[in-house]
Amino acid sequence: MTTAYAVFAGLVLAGLTWIHFTGWSPIGVSEAKLVPTSVRDNPGSYRSTYGRRPYTGAK
Amino acid sequence: MPVRPARARGAALKPPAPPAVASLACHGCGAPLEIRAPGRSLAVACGACGAVLDARDPDYRLIAKFEAQRSVVPRIPLGTRGRLKGETWEVIGYLARRTTIEGAAYTWFEHLLHDPTGGFRWLVEYGGHWTLAKTAAGAPVVVDDGAVYLGERYHHFQTATAEVTYVVGEFPWRVRAGETATVDDYVLPPASLSRERTQQETTWSVGEYLEGEAVWKAFGLPGTPPERVGVGAAQPSPFRPRSRTMALLLASFAAAVVLIHLLFAAFAQQKLVLDAAWEYDPRAPATASVQSEPFAIGGRTSNLVVEVSSTLAQGWAYFTLTLVNEDTGAARTFGREVAYYFGRDSDGSWTEGAPWDRAWLPSVPAGHYTLVVEPESPRPVNYRVRLTRDVPRALWMWVAMGLLAVPPLIFWWRQWTFEHRRWQESDHPLSGGSDDEGDDE
Repeated sequence: MTTAYAVFAGLVLAGLTWIHFTGWSPIGVSEAKLVPTSVRDNPGSYRSTYGRRPYTGAK
Repeated sequence: MPVRPARARGAALKPPAPPAVASLACHGCGAPLEIRAPGRSLAVACGACGAVLDARDPDYRLIAKFEAQRSVVPRIPLGTRGRLKGETWEVIGYLARRTTIEGAAYTWFEHLLHDPTGGFRWLVEYGGHWTLAKTAAGAPVVVDDGAVYLGERYHHFQTATAEVTYVVGEFPWRVRAGETATVDDYVLPPASLSRERTQQETTWSVGEYLEGEAVWKAFGLPGTPPERVGVGAAQPSPFRPRSRTMALLLASFAAAVVLIHLLFAAFAQQKLVLDAAWEYDPRAPATASVQSEPFAIGGRTSNLVVEVSSTLAQGWAYFTLTLVNEDTGAARTFGREVAYYFGRDSDGSWTEGAPWDRAWLPSVPAGHYTLVVEPESPRPVNYRVRLTRDVPRALWMWVAMGLLAVPPLIFWWRQWTFEHRRWQESDHPLSGGSDDEGDDE
């Protein structure tokens, strides 16, 4: 178990190093423009659809 | 020349002679009986009819008789000899004991082992779990939730009334079926401690958990030992010895992750390659698409952080950005949205979004580039775009930490489950979890 974990951790560390070195990312950088303007202009009505946007305060 | 003791000259190095065995016929049923530890046994029991004879009496008089309800076949036949823990033992007695808890009967089996020089041992089997026990040296001290023996604290496991339900062979006390005793079990895996109390006496025994395979090998038994059921009271945890190692590994790897991140943070370029500000007005078509001055990106292939800040308030803007490699003609187009709203309602003040945005553009090769920006917004907006080369992203450090934590968490969860299953059989079951998992460990 500990040996397998050490191997796994080695792979994770190697992956981290590689990602830092090459700047590679599995995450897409582009945001979709899917929400219609009418909804964008009424923020209180679409908060729950905007999971990626930080929200603070009362719901 | 020093005189060597006699045993070193070989006189005592000869294999011990087989013990003298006395044969007799059972007074109850005539079945042949053997006394393998003459002089030490006080009683010999006939497994066929339940008669118990006085082993010290020249005529082996009948001293008790119980109804042999069923024939029990000992796991290890009487008379079998084997070498266990460095000593040679012979199975001379066998009894089955039972306790009833909440209406359910639990039966375990005890083999009495004898060695002319080593005395007696008990080889106890319950649900495929084996314990080799001997009389404790001295009386352990009972404390609140356990017992202390030879400086080691044992945890109370169970207290029950045990009844002898079947007996065969010879014993150093006047055994009889139906005999009851209160048994207190304490564990410190792989060791165990048992106190047996009757009206006449209290005895303590200390045991050590054995693997069934070791017992089978020691006595040269055919086949395989009975399969283990559940987790034995004194069964050593396969996880516990490695738990500390796992914690140390996790700490070491987490430190390595932080170190890698800090090293890249220290030596990364983090160089600002573009800082440009524009204004967008939906009524001015010329502002719908702007292009930066050419700029150079150096070093190895790495990421590029794109930061867009704006004067937005209660509004949104969507930016389509295209990074064009002037050397190769390759273009990468991506969109980012900036939206910022705030206000106050019956629940208090709230904000949503931010007037700025940041994104990591992965794996951008070195070269000469220009940036094309095509904004959209219902209202005029001033915005600024900054591109920074080679910026270590802390997100990957946290992702790596999370991945590294998974195996130890699984390991500790299995360790907890193992202990949960062990204590589920005790008077002190652990709370939480389920006990319906596999039977063998």
